[in-house]
Amino acid sequence: MNSGLRKAHKYSWLLLIIIIPVIMFFSIKDLMLFESTKKADISFNFSKDIPDREFENDIIKVAFYPKNIEIILKITLKNASSSVYTVDENLKKQKVIGQLTTAGIYTFEINDIPKNIMLFDDIKDVLITQTNF
Amino acid sequence: MGLDYQLVLWNKHKKTYDKVVALYMLIYIVLFASITIIFNSETSIETLVIRAFGSLAIVMLHIILVIGPLSRLNSKFLPILYNRRHLGVSMFIAALIHGGFSIFQFHAFGDVNPIYSLFTSNMDYNSLTNFPFQVLGFFALLILFTMASTSHDFFLKNLSPSIWKRLHMLVYLAYALIIGHVFLGAFQQETSPFTIGFLLIGFIVIGSLHIITAFKESKIDNVKAKKDTEGWLKVCDINEIEEDKAKIFTVNNERIAIFKYKGKLSAVHNVCKHQGGPLGEGKIIDGCITCPWHGYQYLPHNGQSPPPFTEKVATYELKLLKRIVYINPDALEEGTEVKPIII
Repeated sequence: MNSGLRKAHKYSWLLLIIIIPVIMFFSIKDLMLFESTKKADISFNFSKDIPDREFENDIIKVAFYPKNIEIILKITLKNASSSVYTVDENLKKQKVIGQLTTAGIYTFEINDIPKNIMLFDDIKDVLITQTNF
Repeated sequence: MGLDYQLVLWNKHKKTYDKVVALYMLIYIVLFASITIIFNSETSIETLVIRAFGSLAIVMLHIILVIGPLSRLNSKFLPILYNRRHLGVSMFIAALIHGGFSIFQFHAFGDVNPIYSLFTSNMDYNSLTNFPFQVLGFFALLILFTMASTSHDFFLKNLSPSIWKRLHMLVYLAYALIIGHVFLGAFQQETSPFTIGFLLIGFIVIGSLHIITAFKESKIDNVKAKKDTEGWLKVCDINEIEEDKAKIFTVNNERIAIFKYKGKLSAVHNVCKHQGGPLGEGKIIDGCITCPWHGYQYLPHNGQSPPPFTEKVATYELKLLKRIVYINPDALEEGTEVKPIII
């Protein structure tokens, strides 16, 4: 290598040893490195309103309100797709009301309260979970 | 060295090297799959492929990034530098499988172009926990593709070694993008002190080696030589140069290699025309200066590659007074014959 290339290497690395630790620090500073994800997710709570109906299993906690549905996804799913469908009395999919990604609280506005909802992986065409009223 | 361009310039050593690389890649994939199946049996085959090849590419990138500085710090590592390009292309293939499967699984089933989907499905650039990390991986893959597709002597010669080298220095940007891709992506969803620790230690090792090497090289570049009344520079005592090896001397930030062989002394520019390898760290083999990186050869008295090869490096005039070697710092035209100094 000539002198110019050696200098380019040197300045590239002087820059990288500043930038990369900053990326690392800010991306992990809020992560709970030594706690399990499940423990953290249990702390999610519904809004204060009293729901019409509630449902809970290992994956989701659902509250039906007159104008919306609140879903707490307890764990981040491994499915590539997780769409939320309304379900009729015969447990058949009706329409998509939204999609879930990582663990957290999701609120979807609705016009009519459905009988049930289901979480469906459209890519693999498999049912992930559903409410059962 | 080769006169014609071939798709892959294999020889016995490179074939062995490639077989070893392929074997280790296979062992890694099998081990990764076995451990995943045992400890996380719910993982789908697509996810397994994405994770196995993604992590393999990262491990390989770490190895690739330490080869350069290690071989500058210790010549024992030079044999692994010899075929680093094949290792780089193998790493790109692993990264391509990871990226290809990811784009297919996460973006190919919608009604928009998967690449468009990759850029538009998540625009949350203000968030650290939900940052569109796939975009970072995509740009890193583009850099790796550019590097892998130009990892051939045809591009090296036609782009010029200097531009080619600068192009391939984009691997450092790719490394930073990959760190961002992993820390803002996988680590936000599955936090593991082990994987974070691996990348952290990897960065410390890679960063330290590059910085140590850079400062060591700067120190050599900054050596100032004094001219005598006739403009010649004092280099060293003749005994400081080993037989069939060279003393590297710096003039105006450029390095010159002064070789001692068969009772003679000759000086050439230290930078190999192939990939910029340090000729002065090579040896005289079969009467030719042989580059330690890829074996390119030059005749010491005229800096020309032996026929039918056409590479040439600059030569320098030397003089010997009372066993002290002096050099004229003005480089002669590349390939100019200079009568060797008889010791």
